[in-house]
Amino acid sequence: MIESAWAQAAIQLILLALVSLLVPASYRVIVGPTLPDRLGAVDLITTLLIGIIVMLALVESTQTFVDMAIALAAFAFIGTISIARYISEGRVF
Amino acid sequence: MAALVFGLFFCAVGVLGVVRLPDSLTRLHASGKVATLGLFGLLVGAALLMPSAWLRLLALGLFVLLTSPVATHAIAASVYRRREIVEELAVADASTAEADITAIDATGVLSRSRIQDIIEAQERALRYHKSNARPKRDRR
Repeated sequence: MIESAWAQAAIQLILLALVSLLVPASYRVIVGPTLPDRLGAVDLITTLLIGIIVMLALVESTQTFVDMAIALAAFAFIGTISIARYISEGRVF
Repeated sequence: MAALVFGLFFCAVGVLGVVRLPDSLTRLHASGKVATLGLFGLLVGAALLMPSAWLRLLALGLFVLLTSPVATHAIAASVYRRREIVEELAVADASTAEADITAIDATGVLSRSRIQDIIEAQERALRYHKSNARPKRDRR
């Protein structure tokens, strides 16, 4: 779908950069001094993963990956909200 | 392509901020930039490069634009409430220590009944804290 080889190479470079951005984010997950820090870093990692999946959809030029990104966004929202409620209130529901 | 580079730039800046900034609330501020500007730039660039999937990409972008500030706000509220709980416990500890000192001063000797009074006051304060926390949380 993307015909020029230059654009294809640039998209793969951006994909590589996004994947390498996962490393400092997981550093914050491991080191982060408090629990909300780790939760925010996990949320950040999920956001980066959504971007990575969209870039993969561009590389493979298939639309199915975008549906997977939507599902990942929905589940990440539910998980982040429930863990934040658990941290602040001591119970989920 | 320019939108993709825009999104990648904001993703990199946000991750740099999450790693380098000193406070947890400022770190949340940086990660919010990744979720809105960075990911939305990536989605706009992808929609321009792959025009057949623009509706799904728009749906994904709107969903992320709606939910990510809510998630960031929930995490920030948890940071705030943790800090509030820690401050309340510090205040309770200080007041019981003060009661301790005044008990010693009044009687000269710290009698067993005064110790019982102090322990009961501490338990009452803890119970008050627990019972007070629930409705304040449910009001949200």
